[in-house]
Amino acid sequence: MTKVLLKDIRKNFGTVEVIRGVDLEIEDGEFVVFVGPSGCGKSTLLRLISGLEHISDGELHIGGRLVNEVPAARRGVAMVFQSYALYPHLTVRDNMGFGLKVRKVPASERARRVSEAAATLKLEPLLDRFPRQLSGGQRQRVAIGRAIVGNPDVFLFDEPLSNLDAELRVHMRSEIAALHQRLSTTMIYVTHDQIEAMTLADKIVVLRDGRIEQVGSPRDLYDSPRTIFVAQFIGSPKMNILPLADGQPIALGASVPATATSVGIRPEHLSLGQPSNSTLRGKVGLAEYTGAVTLLHVALDGGQTCLVIHNQGPAPETGAEVGLRAEPGHLHFFDKEGRAV
Amino acid sequence: MAGKAFRDNAARAAGAPWLTLKTREMLEAWLFVSPTLIGFLIFFLGPLVAIFYYSTTEWNLLSQQATFVGLRNFHNVLLENPDFWHVVRNSVIFALGLVPLNMALALSLALALSRPFFGVVFFRTVFFAPVVTSAIAWAIVWKFMLQGEGGAVNQMLAWIGINGPNWLREPNWAMAAVIVTRVIKMVGLNMILYIAALQSIPRDYEEAATLEGASRWQVFRMITWPLLAPTTLVIMVLTTIGSFKVFDHIYQMTGGGPENGTLVLAFYIYQQGFKFFNVGYAAALALIMFVIVMALTLVQVMLRRRDME
Repeated sequence: MTKVLLKDIRKNFGTVEVIRGVDLEIEDGEFVVFVGPSGCGKSTLLRLISGLEHISDGELHIGGRLVNEVPAARRGVAMVFQSYALYPHLTVRDNMGFGLKVRKVPASERARRVSEAAATLKLEPLLDRFPRQLSGGQRQRVAIGRAIVGNPDVFLFDEPLSNLDAELRVHMRSEIAALHQRLSTTMIYVTHDQIEAMTLADKIVVLRDGRIEQVGSPRDLYDSPRTIFVAQFIGSPKMNILPLADGQPIALGASVPATATSVGIRPEHLSLGQPSNSTLRGKVGLAEYTGAVTLLHVALDGGQTCLVIHNQGPAPETGAEVGLRAEPGHLHFFDKEGRAV
Repeated sequence: MAGKAFRDNAARAAGAPWLTLKTREMLEAWLFVSPTLIGFLIFFLGPLVAIFYYSTTEWNLLSQQATFVGLRNFHNVLLENPDFWHVVRNSVIFALGLVPLNMALALSLALALSRPFFGVVFFRTVFFAPVVTSAIAWAIVWKFMLQGEGGAVNQMLAWIGINGPNWLREPNWAMAAVIVTRVIKMVGLNMILYIAALQSIPRDYEEAATLEGASRWQVFRMITWPLLAPTTLVIMVLTTIGSFKVFDHIYQMTGGGPENGTLVLAFYIYQQGFKFFNVGYAAALALIMFVIVMALTLVQVMLRRRDME
């Protein structure tokens, strides 16, 4: 059982506190994704778990063992780096077997485990090549293979797909998901890409300024964001946040909580209607046709811009007057601190 | 074809009607490289060709008369003159002493000074400063410091109860003293090259290896040192060449003595050419030195290439 438990974890660099008290429980075999904007502390948190950075305060338990003072190599974790960190002077075989070699694992056992990992990742034809002779996707697979060979209790991934092109990213994403299903090992994955987070995670941890903003399954975060930050960070295109003037009802059948000061509506939960019949009215400022849908940027009468996903019939022309209807069951209300009410 | 015609017409229209664009670009390129090229021809290629010629002559600088003697100078150097082999032996000892010591010290300093810490710039400056100091001034200062009686080195040794020798006057110590002096003078240059190379190695490699269980020594031996190999080769070649060309320290500190114990190739060439005025003979020696250095460089490059494969 490899549970990972973080209790009030803090990290300071000099006088700057970058991780400000993180409490988190990661179950055995769970795929957890840390997501958040640049500088939120997600990579630092991963490095604290790996042992590459020293924890300033708090407790880190891996597999029931307090590991704050345990060296990185003895924590039972393996990490896939954003740059892959493949040793350029070693072949794929030697890269994958490096950890076993330094741990004095006999050569025959080493060869067996490298072969097994290579078979899992379809790397056999590449074993005698050097990293410079591999494509980006192949390097990525070797980096994962190197992590697998050590048979770790926990896999750590630090933005592993960010150096790949869009098509390869989608492919590798599915490979990582398949790998998790096959190995059933605890995986902690850092990304700033919320699509990656949504598609891979059992549990998403949204970080902001060194604190956890919300933890939950992708659906929880999408359906019930606890703050405006999470509401806008999860989901693409991002949620529209509109101010409420004196508790004004914006859709039929929706009752507005007394403390609500703004309402969030996802672009896919807005539809077009006649301006005369709608409480929300505006002009189409921009229509982005993406094939399956058209993303409309509607400049509301109140001055805000509202994104609308339109997928039924021809989209209105730029400059056209439109009315917007929100689905009452999909409204998210927030108070003046930005918390859901 | 149409494109070429268009460009040519454009060049003519641009104010040089008699030149095509390609010719103009070529002329401009030659104009830019000409200062270097002229310097190279006059100060490098000219003397090199001249040495080939002089090495086949018997020319006493005082008589101003050069007589063609074919390969006799080479015959005399290699087969008739036992001094030459003694001098080569001294040069090899000098190189064997200096190159490993210089490189080991440079790498140690670089490893200590490649990461930022308070005062790192000060220490780098201290170790690099001798490189930009005048070699002659450096040698004079060390000559005083290494004096048998009253030299600073022996005074310091006396504090810990060691009676130091007369470093530059005793055959057993003179070579070692000159080597160490030269290493301290030049180690800063190699240190900077190693620091640059160390800083260009991504930190991820070290972190990945540490996570996989490598000790600091294993990280150095299995990751850092192999990745430094191209820099090590450059440093080894340059330092070896530099050690075979050493002149200023020998000239100032020992004059080739005692008992010719520090008489190395470059100083021997100087002696033959400008003290005994045997210019042809000195030219033959210089060519032989050129071949030795070239051969050593090729061997090192081939070893490196074999290592890479």
